[in-house]
Amino acid sequence: MAKITAQNIDTYQEKLDSVIKQIGTETDEKQKKKYIREMERLRKDIAFYRSGKRFSRETKRNMVAYSFIAPNFIGFAVFTLVPMVFAFLLAFMKWDGSNPIAWAAFDNFKKLGSDTFFKAALKNTIIYCIGTVPLTMVFSLALAVVLNQKVFGRGIFRTLSFFPYVASLVAVTAVWKMLFHPSKGPINNILYTVFHIPQSSLPKWFSGGLVLLSMILFSVWKYMGYYMVIYLAGLQGIPGELYEAASLDGATTWQRFRYVTWPQLSATTFFVVVMLTINCFKVYDIAIMLAGGGSGELTLNATVLVYYIYQQAFVNWDLGYSSAVSMVLFVLVLAVTLIQFRGQKKLAD
Amino acid sequence: MKKKLLSVLLATTMVASLAGCGGDTGSSETAPATEAPATEAADSGADEAADTSDAEPEKTDETADASSDKTTLTWAIWDKESTPYWTAMADAYMEANPNVTIDMVDLGSSDYMTVLATELSGDGSDFDVVTIKDVPGYATLVQKNAIVALDDKISADGVDLSLYNGATDQVTVDGKLYELPFRNDFWVLYYNKDIFDKAGVEYPSNDMTWEEYDKLARSVTDTTFGSQVYGSHYHTWRSTVGLIGCLDGKHSIIDGEYSFMKPYYEMVLNQEKDGVCRSYSDLKTEELHYSAAFSSGDTAMMNMGSWYISTLISNLASGEYDSSLCGNWGIVKYPHADGVEAGSTLGTITGLSVTSATDIPDQAWDFVRWASGKEGAEVMASTGNFPAIMTDEVVNTIKSLDGFPQDENSIEALNVSNLYLEVPYAENVSEINSVLDTYHSMIMGGEISVDDGISKMNEEIAPLVSK
Repeated sequence: MAKITAQNIDTYQEKLDSVIKQIGTETDEKQKKKYIREMERLRKDIAFYRSGKRFSRETKRNMVAYSFIAPNFIGFAVFTLVPMVFAFLLAFMKWDGSNPIAWAAFDNFKKLGSDTFFKAALKNTIIYCIGTVPLTMVFSLALAVVLNQKVFGRGIFRTLSFFPYVASLVAVTAVWKMLFHPSKGPINNILYTVFHIPQSSLPKWFSGGLVLLSMILFSVWKYMGYYMVIYLAGLQGIPGELYEAASLDGATTWQRFRYVTWPQLSATTFFVVVMLTINCFKVYDIAIMLAGGGSGELTLNATVLVYYIYQQAFVNWDLGYSSAVSMVLFVLVLAVTLIQFRGQKKLAD
Repeated sequence: MKKKLLSVLLATTMVASLAGCGGDTGSSETAPATEAPATEAADSGADEAADTSDAEPEKTDETADASSDKTTLTWAIWDKESTPYWTAMADAYMEANPNVTIDMVDLGSSDYMTVLATELSGDGSDFDVVTIKDVPGYATLVQKNAIVALDDKISADGVDLSLYNGATDQVTVDGKLYELPFRNDFWVLYYNKDIFDKAGVEYPSNDMTWEEYDKLARSVTDTTFGSQVYGSHYHTWRSTVGLIGCLDGKHSIIDGEYSFMKPYYEMVLNQEKDGVCRSYSDLKTEELHYSAAFSSGDTAMMNMGSWYISTLISNLASGEYDSSLCGNWGIVKYPHADGVEAGSTLGTITGLSVTSATDIPDQAWDFVRWASGKEGAEVMASTGNFPAIMTDEVVNTIKSLDGFPQDENSIEALNVSNLYLEVPYAENVSEINSVLDTYHSMIMGGEISVDDGISKMNEEIAPLVSK
């Protein structure tokens, strides 16, 4: 809208009057609301002009608010937003970080299809997610339900299940590696002495096809405590009357869970699943620590997308290609999250 | 209302100063205005050298004006505390050149080349001299134009490249050389004399084929539970197994065809199956360091680089290794393939390069020339390490080190007849290396058969070589 000046102030005033008149005659609710908004805006503009100040009260208020957001937003923009946009552009270019950037169009994406390592990383990441997300959810929910009741030693058990989450990843992977050591670990010892599995066919937990299983088990164990706490909070938000009413109607324990707890927790479950999925797609540390074996090299059976992105970017210095792989990861996470949002909406309706 | 405007203004200035200067602690308001012009020139990458940042601006300003005054060379290295020769080299050079100060920046050893490449990307670097740890990293820096070609200076100063025994030829890029080696390690076979004495088997010799070595390893092996003796030990690196095939001088890892590695993978995997060496997946899981394997006294032979000599000597002297377990050690030349001259071995060079970002390329070059020349070689030898230039004096210095085994074979083992670089230069050597590493892990971990692994290597690397 044009700025109000001494010349056109009258036309503004007229417009305001006509809008007010229209409000009086309008019958359609929606249309009426629109006119009211228009009226308010015009009034504000005129009042601002008449007050003769440089900034309207509204603008000032907004500026104060923005100044509060600014410190965080500037940081976000510099360190996250700009690099993200840049990465998106880089996916269509060829760059090694020093020499001039060259336009590559879709070359990077074409290369993806024939790249054994990328395909292995993608496959492993997806398997890892499919394995980890439901298992972690089920275990953390079960833990939360059990530890929400007045069982003996509840506080201790709650702490114990939360402990893996706060423990240092490096330390706990070292312990896991000792437990699952292929020839000296207690797990394989039990398999050998109790189940009489011959020494040559004892499972090698950190190589071959088993490494993904180890990663999934480890991740479930490490992160279920955290999601248990979220579920506990959700459980405590369910009003007791609902359970009372259910038991008056003769509901069994299972029915109470199925028809009271589960639907009441749907918002929590949604949050848990989204967070879990995103975190699972980002997996890197667990793979490196469990399967990297000192040198930090992952085999085709253990490689994951984030590792491959890092490898391409900072070892091979093919920043364009690594951005293209990141885009695949981004699209993957986005797609899964969108599907979950849609599912959640359907559930809520 | 005025108050509010004031607060908005205050808030924005705070934000601006936060974003703008990133904080000289304390005097944040005045810093951008008064100090900016003075520090701008020298400050570009001073974050890393935080400890010297206060004194640095003035120092570099002076050097820009008058080169006769003190110069500071910033040198990228790794593991300063546990590796004695960095400080020894720097001290010796500073003594010979009193107007130069060397400022060492430790980037850590585990991902040194990755960190260095990141530091030298863009134009935010203040390194003058950088150490080149491996050839893949060297290739990366050359392609990124982060280090400069030294040929003009080499010919101007008359540096004799023949002293390096051909090592420099294997890192020449399109006729240009970007680094000068100052350290040169080669692979030898370490053995524990006590184990051979106990088993009543003769010591390994300086002229063994790999079949003889295999037999010898099996003859000292004891698989009895509780008192195992491993005839051999292979660290998890690819160089301990796959690279053995390069010893005939006909093959190298940049060939694109890797069937020459097959007999050695089979030899090691068979040894592993028979309990002659520790299993690869065990080593990988427990991340056992090769020094722990050898010093625990149940490893008869281990192939490893000559860098382990100085570690063994100093750790035995300090008592960190139990001398009753591994104190009686010796080295012999690397075993060789049938029909190949004894004394052919693999090597790896550590080089020095001048960065393209440096303001003082002449001083930087002078240090590189000095360190990789005869003077530097003596300093290296005195710390028990192998310089790139092997002279008789250097061999004498090393064999007379306190703790070096005095038998004839061990001393003779220091004479190398043919040295093949583990990784010679090729354009895509960094990618080739990571593909080979992946399939090495898979073959050794039993995830894939030797034949399949090698054909996968061939398949994946073919496009990288032809490029």
